[in-house]
Amino acid sequence: MPYHPMSDHDDEALLAAYAAGDPEAARALTGRLLPRVFTHAVRMLGDRAEAEDVAQEALLKLWRVAPDWRQGDAKVTTWLYRVTANLCIDRMRRRRTGPALDAIPEPVDPAPSAAQTLQTRARADALQDALLQLPDRQRQAVILRHIDGLTNPQIAQIMDIGPRAVESLTARGKRALEAALIGRRAELGYEGDD
Amino acid sequence: MTERKDRTADTGLEAFFDAARQESPDPGADLLARVEADALAHLPRPGTRSATGLRFFGQLRAAVGGWPGVAGLAAASVTGLWLGISPPDGVSDLLAGSGAGALSLDPLSEFDLTMLEG
Repeated sequence: MPYHPMSDHDDEALLAAYAAGDPEAARALTGRLLPRVFTHAVRMLGDRAEAEDVAQEALLKLWRVAPDWRQGDAKVTTWLYRVTANLCIDRMRRRRTGPALDAIPEPVDPAPSAAQTLQTRARADALQDALLQLPDRQRQAVILRHIDGLTNPQIAQIMDIGPRAVESLTARGKRALEAALIGRRAELGYEGDD
Repeated sequence: MTERKDRTADTGLEAFFDAARQESPDPGADLLARVEADALAHLPRPGTRSATGLRFFGQLRAAVGGWPGVAGLAAASVTGLWLGISPPDGVSDLLAGSGAGALSLDPLSEFDLTMLEG
């Protein structure tokens, strides 16, 4: 990622600078937030093209709300995750014709051996397939907790539910994922890892 | 390895999550350019924003009943100020005639002046 002179600032400070008309803040925020928003949208939707639209729309909402942003009310990322997930869920409800299976994330950095990369890719793809079979809210909670690494209180804020409900959603989601993936362990190279 | 540890701790799912984290999709240069263009197109103009001030006046406006309330409040304030600065002749006469002499419009009473003189 290119270095930005504002990379030391937190998101809220950058947004305040953006609202004050600083174009450097616009670039720094885009570089920092777009990958998170886009990745979350791809995982929720399983469709790269739709995820691009959602990411652009979510960030457009941020640019528009920036002048009225109240410092200290919410974290920018929390707000963005919520907006992104809501846009994704709206789209999923509209289409409901099944996930697009040709939109698995692209590989990013093939630094390890080719075989390892392929295996990692295969596992990520398998997980993505399984995630797309989950109900929307379970999928959202599992992605936020176990892939994006957010805490339960953060997820509760994003999803507007209590922490116990988050635990319940992630637990049910993981059980469903285990059931879906257990039959593919040998195919995905887990037997050879022992 | 992480997978080995997680296989017991999390029945193997962590290995899949780990793979997903390694395979994070890249937004790509086109999308980055589009979003950056949006950000710059919506960039507020410097010096035209006072979010805190605007919020305060927005709340004040709502409290007095919107723009008609603001207009009424402003008119009443200006009228009061004007009456204070330049009271019409009739007001003092009226007060004197009604026996309300104690309610003088003189902002500095004789008592205050005496105190100031020591």
